[in-house]
Amino acid sequence: MDVFILLLEGIFVSFEPLNLGLLIFGCLIGLFVGAMPGLGSVNGVAILIPITFIIPPTAAIIFLAAVYYGAMYGGAISSVMLGIPGASTAVATVFDGRPLAVKGEAMTALTAAAVGSFVGGTVSVILFTLFAPPLAEVALRFNAPETFALMVMAFATFVGLGGDDVPKTIFSILIGLALSTIGLDLITGKPRLIFFNIPGFLHGINFLVLAIGIYGIGEMLWTLEETKGKVQMSKLSVNMKEVGRAFGALKKTIMAMNIGSFLGFFVGILPAAGATPASLMSYGITKQLSKNSKEFGSGVPAGVVAPECANNSASTGSMLPMLTLGIPGSPTTAILLGGMILWGLTPGPLLFTQEPEFVWGLIGSLYIANFFTLVLNIALIPAFLMVLRIPFAILAPVIFVLCVTGGYAPTQSLHDVWLMLLFGFAGYILRKLDYPVAPAVLSIVLGPLAEKALRQSLILSDGSMGIFFDMAEKPIAAIIMYIAIVLLIMPAFGPLYKKFFKKAQTT
Amino acid sequence: MSITNKITVKRAEIAVAVILALCSIALMIKSAENRITWNAEENMGAGFLPFYLSLGMLICTVLTIIKFVLKRSPQSKDDSPFIEAEAFKYIAVTIISLVILVLAIGYLGIYFSLIFFLAFYLRYFSSKSILFISVFSLITPVLTFLFFEWLLKIPLPQGISEPLFYPVYDFMYS
Repeated sequence: MDVFILLLEGIFVSFEPLNLGLLIFGCLIGLFVGAMPGLGSVNGVAILIPITFIIPPTAAIIFLAAVYYGAMYGGAISSVMLGIPGASTAVATVFDGRPLAVKGEAMTALTAAAVGSFVGGTVSVILFTLFAPPLAEVALRFNAPETFALMVMAFATFVGLGGDDVPKTIFSILIGLALSTIGLDLITGKPRLIFFNIPGFLHGINFLVLAIGIYGIGEMLWTLEETKGKVQMSKLSVNMKEVGRAFGALKKTIMAMNIGSFLGFFVGILPAAGATPASLMSYGITKQLSKNSKEFGSGVPAGVVAPECANNSASTGSMLPMLTLGIPGSPTTAILLGGMILWGLTPGPLLFTQEPEFVWGLIGSLYIANFFTLVLNIALIPAFLMVLRIPFAILAPVIFVLCVTGGYAPTQSLHDVWLMLLFGFAGYILRKLDYPVAPAVLSIVLGPLAEKALRQSLILSDGSMGIFFDMAEKPIAAIIMYIAIVLLIMPAFGPLYKKFFKKAQTT
Repeated sequence: MSITNKITVKRAEIAVAVILALCSIALMIKSAENRITWNAEENMGAGFLPFYLSLGMLICTVLTIIKFVLKRSPQSKDDSPFIEAEAFKYIAVTIISLVILVLAIGYLGIYFSLIFFLAFYLRYFSSKSILFISVFSLITPVLTFLFFEWLLKIPLPQGISEPLFYPVYDFMYS
């Protein structure tokens, strides 16, 4: 009952004029950002976070969450119309969305994507409302050792479940952590890693510099290389008859909606997973379980609904650990978490008791944003198509302008703009060589929090690392640490498992 | 053979791994300027964490190099160009123009630098008319000015062009 009242209060908060205005604006921007090839929620949130400094934290998080949400919806538009995913989260949408568009059924694909996103978003936000308060209550009992153990587990998840090259993944985590140590040591106050005695390094490296560099500059370079400005858009006829037919085609997608919504939410909670693997897994499982699995890939609405349901559901799921534990569930929530620190909040379970308006305003806004995004998405399809016709050679410099000004604004230092360019170029090259970049962004956000928790724990234990493995004194920390160790060594067993599986198949 | 064909994925992989290994060593040396030991009496030295994180980075790059030598990574067997010739033009011009843009911001100020950057970029890559390019290159900095200086009250760097903005500020704040 308490939860219901708090949720109602949250919904009222999101209906306040400023919050509602920003929510609708955020949904719109998110839809456009998601629809543009090469730009996704993480890019939109990273580039837009500097403009939230002048509004209250609740309005800021509502705005950015709406951008996040809208981008999940919008990603499908370019997947269907151009055959290029608007973001990695919409890659699986191309598999059936594009063939539908080529067959002349683009409206069916776009409607399936929008309705799938709405269902996934609604189911996940209900699950979120049910799970968040009890999880936050448990997390309130966490002290420094448990917090540190959780962060180690977040890093370990990237190694165990990320699916990328293990040394490159660990390198990415470590470089993010190393970058986060630049500046003044939080205990001794001594300057660390001040290269060439440049004073700009004394205030450390703002996570935004890395995030905008990688997801703004780096991503644009990547997209410029991929598209070379050339895209081919499908034809689309928009009328009520087409919309009605598209809704009719959704009857056969109930299973895809169920799989996408529930799987997406739980995969989204995992720090390394997020919306991209959730959508791919949802597509794969729906295809496996479908009676018409052979038709997948040739243009079936269920093949669009499954990934779209999952990516929206996962985006809400990834906010659960962010709010309750202070651990982001995706690169976008890592940036949102960094934003909370910039706005003067302490991410974690205390938010539920100290900042209920912020937490419940955000949760309430997710319900509202879900509705508005569905309506805006379908109503504005012609407008999105106009935007998609903008050549990349015009869009790219505008994004660069946003990156340069966004990189400068938080600290008003050109030093940060140079660093942002450096990270952008480096991120582009590393990504081309299959170095995952998301762990670095997560690490630079969590780095200072992890270091603080580690050093507090070691002060508590007189310098003994045993505090993290003591089942009698700190059982939660110990269990989390052991899970982290299992995740870390899991990739080592991958080849053995494959070998065994192959042998078993041949015998 | 053009330069883009010479830089294969294979060569890029090993070159980047070696550069990252050298950067890791440099970070370790830099970290060692502070105390890198840790014991119960003295607790953790300021250089301890960065030193061991850099050591971890070095180990990872060495593992990447070993995988490369043993041909265990996909990149170690990939002789295709790291970047195609046509895409290289886009990337190289973009990187150079961005570097010049940031250099120019320090001297000319952001607004005039943006005008030149946008005009050049659009002229080079798009087939738009001179009129469109001129209007677009002028409107974008004006909107940037209004957004940051008027709405957010965040002053952006103006370099030698600063005196030109005094009348605008007088108008805005009078």
